[in-house]
Amino acid sequence: MPVYIARKLAFFLLAVIAASIAIFLLIRGAGGNVAAIILGKDATAEAINALSQQYGLDRPMVVQYFDWIGNLLQGDLGRSFRTNEAVTDLVVSRLSISIPLCVSGLLLGLLIAIPAGTYSALNSDKPIGALIALLSQVGIAVPVFWAGILLSLLFGVRLGWLPTGGWTNWDTNFWGAVRSLVLPVISLGVILGASLTRYVRSAVLDVMNQDYVRTARATGMTRMKALLQVGLRNAALPIATVVGLQIAELIGGTVIIETVFSLPGLSRMILANVAAREVIVVQSTVMLIIIFVMFINLLVDLLYGALDPRVRLTR
Amino acid sequence: MSEISKSVRLGLTMLSAAVAIMAAAPGVALAASPRAEEGKMILVARQDPGTLDYTKSNLTALRLWIPANVVEPLVYFNKDGSVSPGVAESWTISDDRLTYAFTIREAKFSNGEPVTVEDVIYSLNTMKASPVTQNSSAYQAVESIEKTDDRTVTITLSRPSQGFWRGMGSTAALIQPEASADTIATNPIGSGPYKLVSYTSNSSFEFTANENYWGDAPSVKDVTVRIITDGTAGLNALEAGEVDSLPVITIDLWEQLTARGLDDKFSMVTYPQIGEPTYAVINQKLDPELRQALAMTLDRQAYNDAFGAAWGAENTCTFALPNQPWYAPESPETCPYPYDIEKAMALVAEKGYASTPLEYASLSDVPDLSLPADIMVPTMQAAGFNMTRNAIDLARYSQLIFQGRPPQFDVTVMSGDADPTQFACPDPNAAGWSTYCSAEYTQALSDADEALTDEDYLALMQKSADILRKDAVIVPIIAKKGVGLFEPDLKGFVEPRVAVAIEFAPLHW
Repeated sequence: MPVYIARKLAFFLLAVIAASIAIFLLIRGAGGNVAAIILGKDATAEAINALSQQYGLDRPMVVQYFDWIGNLLQGDLGRSFRTNEAVTDLVVSRLSISIPLCVSGLLLGLLIAIPAGTYSALNSDKPIGALIALLSQVGIAVPVFWAGILLSLLFGVRLGWLPTGGWTNWDTNFWGAVRSLVLPVISLGVILGASLTRYVRSAVLDVMNQDYVRTARATGMTRMKALLQVGLRNAALPIATVVGLQIAELIGGTVIIETVFSLPGLSRMILANVAAREVIVVQSTVMLIIIFVMFINLLVDLLYGALDPRVRLTR
Repeated sequence: MSEISKSVRLGLTMLSAAVAIMAAAPGVALAASPRAEEGKMILVARQDPGTLDYTKSNLTALRLWIPANVVEPLVYFNKDGSVSPGVAESWTISDDRLTYAFTIREAKFSNGEPVTVEDVIYSLNTMKASPVTQNSSAYQAVESIEKTDDRTVTITLSRPSQGFWRGMGSTAALIQPEASADTIATNPIGSGPYKLVSYTSNSSFEFTANENYWGDAPSVKDVTVRIITDGTAGLNALEAGEVDSLPVITIDLWEQLTARGLDDKFSMVTYPQIGEPTYAVINQKLDPELRQALAMTLDRQAYNDAFGAAWGAENTCTFALPNQPWYAPESPETCPYPYDIEKAMALVAEKGYASTPLEYASLSDVPDLSLPADIMVPTMQAAGFNMTRNAIDLARYSQLIFQGRPPQFDVTVMSGDADPTQFACPDPNAAGWSTYCSAEYTQALSDADEALTDEDYLALMQKSADILRKDAVIVPIIAKKGVGLFEPDLKGFVEPRVAVAIEFAPLHW
């Protein structure tokens, strides 16, 4: 197990370094600069160059990369060119929206997927099992933004039960903040739940066809009892992997949901800063997300290793 | 198999039921805004400015909300051409129009500090040195900005300048306290009727009445501007009664606005100041006859129709807004190269233009500008031009077009409320994004700037417009108007007096 952990940690560190270089090159390679965007089309080349120089964007790329990484390692994520706000402050202020949105969306997705997927697998030969499978397929095909717009139209415009969008701060009005999140969480959770249902169903079906489950059933256990006592641990492995991967997808999904519902979350902040070529804000924030997602996947890998000894022996 | 078909039928039935519920459910009845009694209002912004530092940024998303509400200019130019006091309570202009003396009012900024002559001099000097051309260009003729006494600032010009005087009522003359300059990007301070309480990017601005304001207290005390970048979401919020106005509705939503009948449910205003001329830019390096042939493929009516709202835009061949006196709608007199696809095709065949590869650069993330490209490019290709479309985002566009020397495009389409002086280019070696370096045009604009009377100014601006349209480099297509929707009980909207600013103070329930 220690070798397995060391190998996974080394891979994690290498991936983080590679990601930092990729992020740096991608945002620089996209062209354009923040000075030109701030100053607009009427600015002279001299004014743009002067502002770029002020921001340090005229320095060699290598110097800029190591400067950024050096500061990052010391916990300094940098400052916005446009407002001089610390990136740390910007990120922290957005997390109070993005974390509840992502966590609630994921929980809702799991709350839908685990019972629905399991029930569908256990009843795969009945119409209800086929119906759940069908609905999950429909759910996968529905774009998140479309689900969001429909929910907003129905519950916001038509029925007037919930806000169509916008954000109320937690400290201004707690229930207002909760209400702001209901529709975005449902949009994310239902769509996520649909795709997770498929994975859960497949995993349970796979486990139910294994010899050890058949043996357990031969001892007189019911299907449910055999699943819970023997199959669950094995079915959890692929599901855990998929949930880990879905977290990255979830962050992608929040970009759209935050835009549809006008939530000032982390994803929307990144999108706006990419458009404005706020390179430091984008680099640092995306790096944080990459580290987070990789860390989750590292945890999943370690969990996998703990649950299944065979995994520890593979290269 | 039959069970699966049953399941499919059941699924489809459920989906149909959901759609039917949505269609049948009654919409929220329009009632008086709940904000009316609370002395509040909520408006919608479609864009997030990212920074509030108007000395460095020229983004419309910023100029809509901060000038005139938070930070005031020295004077205000009214719709009828008259001038009202702003930070300056009075002013004198010498007969030769070379000396301007502004008397600064006894007032306080929203942070409680007094407005001083030093603050005014600092603000004007900051704008004079501003990298934003629209701010600094007003000061081209300024020789000195000096303190005469504790309440008077005297500005001396080297030559008469219409641009300077008009600039004193624009963003070029916004007055801020020098002591708060470091926080201007997130918290600008001014002497206007409102102060900014908070700005959360991509979320909202919160304003409240400035208790130190020198004029009458505004009727609505608290104003929230919610930033809703998705246009449909903005209209949904208005229809659901969550907000009281979308004062600036961009062209991509016009069709939806009428299709949903929102123009009947809400008060709709159209106004020219916030609108923008939309114009094609044809690179000056191209042969003049080739440019003229390209100009003949521009079907103004087709662009106008594409936006689905005839009340929102006028076809024009003049670079101006409809409220500017030298503006003229499309006519045989004002359009030297009217739409004539057959003539364009004949010219392409005759001159062999099909062998010239041309690139059309279009801004992919701005619907107002990608829609004209959707119509222009196929028409140009149909006429026989060897045209390729290059759709790029704003950052890349600004690098290739605005920063490029020479700019990397043959044809593009732009939209903007800036003055026609933006195209003046005295030095062809410094050709910029407009690629329009015409000594004749630059001279005509310079003469107009030095005009001593309004009549001379108008005549010379008309002459400039004539030169511009004949060269087929900047080819105006339509003049969009500003369009806004207001909750019917929210009254008092006035057309912008400082650039494109939406003024909160005159609005009342």
